[in-house]
Amino acid sequence: MNFYKNRNVYAFLSILLFVASFFVIESCSSKKLVAEKPGALLWGENCIRCHNAPSPSAFSDVQWETIAMHMKVRANLPEDDIIKIVEFLKMAN
Amino acid sequence: MKRIVIIILFMLGNLFAQDIETLTKKVNTVIPGQSRFLLRGYAHSGLELIEGKTSFVGGSFNPIFLWQQSTKLLFEAELELELEDAKTYLALEYANMSYFLSKYLSLRLGYFLLPFGTFGERLHPRWINRMPSTPLGFGHDPVGPIRDMGVEIRGGHNLRTGKINYALYITNGPRLNDGSDPELETEEAGMLIYKNYSDNNTNKAVGGRIGLLPFSNSSLEIGISGQYAKVGDTGTRYKNTAALLSAVDVSYVRNILFFKGVLDIKGQFNRVTVDNADYYSNKDSAYYSFKNISGSYYMQASFRPAYVYNAFFKNIEFVGRYSSLSFPGNALWNSEQTQWAAGINYWLDWRTVLKIAYQVTERKNNTDKTASENNAVFIHWAFGF
Repeated sequence: MNFYKNRNVYAFLSILLFVASFFVIESCSSKKLVAEKPGALLWGENCIRCHNAPSPSAFSDVQWETIAMHMKVRANLPEDDIIKIVEFLKMAN
Repeated sequence: MKRIVIIILFMLGNLFAQDIETLTKKVNTVIPGQSRFLLRGYAHSGLELIEGKTSFVGGSFNPIFLWQQSTKLLFEAELELELEDAKTYLALEYANMSYFLSKYLSLRLGYFLLPFGTFGERLHPRWINRMPSTPLGFGHDPVGPIRDMGVEIRGGHNLRTGKINYALYITNGPRLNDGSDPELETEEAGMLIYKNYSDNNTNKAVGGRIGLLPFSNSSLEIGISGQYAKVGDTGTRYKNTAALLSAVDVSYVRNILFFKGVLDIKGQFNRVTVDNADYYSNKDSAYYSFKNISGSYYMQASFRPAYVYNAFFKNIEFVGRYSSLSFPGNALWNSEQTQWAAGINYWLDWRTVLKIAYQVTERKNNTDKTASENNAVFIHWAFGF
């Protein structure tokens, strides 16, 4: 019964604990400036946040441009990142 | 001799000119113009074993239409065609136009998925959702809005070693079921109805989300969402009744090279608070009131050993999810639900997946003091295109 009453608090504390542990893990990794990242790295880091990273050959160069606009809106990706990712996908296509 | 050479060169030049002209015409037929159309989408189907009943389910087919009018204009729409009880249902998931105002800001108009958390906007498509089902409170009878009509500005910006994204919108907002509409369940008085396509009042909902990605590798995203609106019908005793909706979402996705795989953790916590109001009970012929707070959340973790050499095991993904839903304790529609789900996915390619999952849902009802448990097995496939 108490669990049901307090479960929202438990859930919130669990999220806080998760987030705190992420900070500890990530503080040990390198901190490369986002602006200096190449398209290939941004492709790997951004797409995978929601779904598996697509193969560059999945769509044509022209189709990638339309998909990039769709993703810019849907995932709120910064334009600088989108431009680099599309350049990479076209180059690797 | 000189004259013959000139004649030959003239003939060859004419021949090449004709070839170039023909080639140019052919190339021009395939070079895309500024207007570009792309059809994408997803579909799913499968077998479900629920409470002793086994059935193949037709699933759904969701075509997504993308129309790029220019480098600044994009129209996007999604339909859902679903087979249920021998009928085909057609629904509009969203249809909106985006105009890119600047590098950091775009304007969206129409019917769109709301940035209230991330599940409804980014993670619900069947080929993206790691489980065959949706978490409690994020599918039917949602706690929090999923889509609405209105106007929105949104964008994203790189920080030095992180990112920030933002969205602010004005929409019709939800409508309060005050128990007087015969088309709605009178026992569900106090519940918010999110399908408010012809606004029930002059008030508009204002909401938004801020997402922060504090790390350079974009592995972690923490988002905070909120929405405020008056939800009662104009001219009724509920005209000033308002609702405050809030959500916290978290996402952590990282390549764990030590374990040769990808760890994906997602979570979202929704809360809906509606002002206290008196609702009429036909059963008791009297008004009653209750503290109108609903909540739902889910936490999900998945791991895919994507970097092992074995071609079979690199496509396997293990996933587990816990979700919870609570409706107000003293409301006639009160309910406490918890759900565990565990599954194994097999990825045929980056957007085609076979999902097998076992799910246990527990329900408690304070009104009739009942409790039930529901077990289900899902075998689904989902296909993104």
